[in-house]
Amino acid sequence: MTKGRSIRHVAAERVFFTLFFLLACLCPLLPVTETCAQEGRDRAASLSGEAAKLSDAGNLERAVEVCREAVKADPAYPEAYDQLGYLLFRKGSFDEAVGAFKSALRINQGMRTSRTGLGLALLKTGDTQGAEAVLREALSMNPYPSMTHYALGLVHEKKGDYEKAVLEFKEGIRTFRSGKR
Amino acid sequence: MRSTRSGRHFFVWPALVFALTFFLAYSVSAQALLQTGSQAPSFSLQDLEGGTVSLSDHAQKKAVVILFWSTWSANSGKALKRFEDFHRKYRDKGIQILGINTDNQTLSPEDVVQIKAVVRGLGITFPSLLDRGLATFRAYGTIALPSTVVITGGRISYELPGLPLVATEDMFDYLSVLAGDPPRKKMEKMYEPVHAAIADTNLARGFVRKKMSVMAYPLFRKAIEKDPKYILPYVELAKLLEAEGNAQEAVETLNKALSVSPDSVVVMSELGYLLVKTGKLKEAVDILGKAAAKNSYTPSHYYYAYALGKDGNMKEALPSFEAALSLNPFEPSIFLLRAELYENGAMLKEASADYKKALALMLNVKE
Repeated sequence: MTKGRSIRHVAAERVFFTLFFLLACLCPLLPVTETCAQEGRDRAASLSGEAAKLSDAGNLERAVEVCREAVKADPAYPEAYDQLGYLLFRKGSFDEAVGAFKSALRINQGMRTSRTGLGLALLKTGDTQGAEAVLREALSMNPYPSMTHYALGLVHEKKGDYEKAVLEFKEGIRTFRSGKR
Repeated sequence: MRSTRSGRHFFVWPALVFALTFFLAYSVSAQALLQTGSQAPSFSLQDLEGGTVSLSDHAQKKAVVILFWSTWSANSGKALKRFEDFHRKYRDKGIQILGINTDNQTLSPEDVVQIKAVVRGLGITFPSLLDRGLATFRAYGTIALPSTVVITGGRISYELPGLPLVATEDMFDYLSVLAGDPPRKKMEKMYEPVHAAIADTNLARGFVRKKMSVMAYPLFRKAIEKDPKYILPYVELAKLLEAEGNAQEAVETLNKALSVSPDSVVVMSELGYLLVKTGKLKEAVDILGKAAAKNSYTPSHYYYAYALGKDGNMKEALPSFEAALSLNPFEPSIFLLRAELYENGAMLKEASADYKKALALMLNVKE
């Protein structure tokens, strides 16, 4: 028994020392990991800004490339996916845009712009029902976005329900004018 | 106008025609000079070669002339050619021409190729800039394409929406005098609003934008006192009064403006629109018909169309809406007013399309 206790004791000691050793080794690395993450975020934000400039200058192809680099630089940065989604949407790559918006929402469910973008992209892929559901969610998160009303208007228009389309577009105009965009 | 006085001893038709055309030219200029005296909004835009051109780059020039144009507008080609001739003659005399293309809110690479082709085809040598997003177009309150704005000393000194025959010649006379040529004919001194009135109006407009109308009212009224001939504060004050439910006072304000400037198409148009909103349709159709006939202020066309539609004459209204759209397809109000008429007439598909277009323009999204 004494021997058995001694063996357990030794094992526990070994585990304790191994853990201690590992912690001792990793502790100095923790700030480095944080720094790396911050560097990745900064680079992604910078690339994102560059992509926006390229897009404004009409260079959509290059803007998409740079935005993809931003996503690679920090795969946990939802804004880059959101931007990529809108760029792909403008490019007419609707399926890819759906993927990008979904990625943004996987990281941050509260990304209203991504939800609206997803609705718009789904509508373009022909998924009218899916688009409507997503846009209604977006609207419940913020009752004022003119863009979401615009997108919902498009859904109703596609369904041939012009009465509802008129209501949504008018609501979009009203919210835009009230400054609650 | 005065130049025709010499012809009053010869009561012959050519003299009358001459007098009439000069009268029209004067009235067009008078209505178009709403922004005169205001600080010119700064801008930095890309040219067709990818370089950046800013208004401030030409601060040392005697004048900067901005021509807003598009490949789809009927008179833009003529305007570009006319300015190219002027540029070749006066390029070394301190007058800088800048062409600003406003083809669309978002420009695709194909659009740019087309713009370049037009510029090359016409042999344009002055800088051609691209107004992506139309921020500069909006900052200058452009109401028609083509439109010309002359900037001297950092302020807007001349505006000309469209390319009306006689008024265009007057503008080129003005520009050649600026370049140092002797006047071709006796020129009337152009009206320049009192600076303090401009300052008060600008301040008041700022308060309106910030939804601080209490601060705006006295400033608009002060501006009118300081320069009763300055039309802009009357128009802005009337709009504010109407928006805050005081339509009667708004009508009175515009009537005062009309007594000061009876030929102002701007005042006639805004008054007519207000009359539609207060239900005085016959009066509105009458005054707006006169304003639209002058063909120099885009809103007169769509206000007139709206009045006609409200009065039950949709058939005549639609061509007037089209006339307005051919001059400025980026104005959401045109689509909004037409949509309202369609909606009232239970034409929901058409109403939906127009409301959609208006909202897309506001949101700056490509449909």
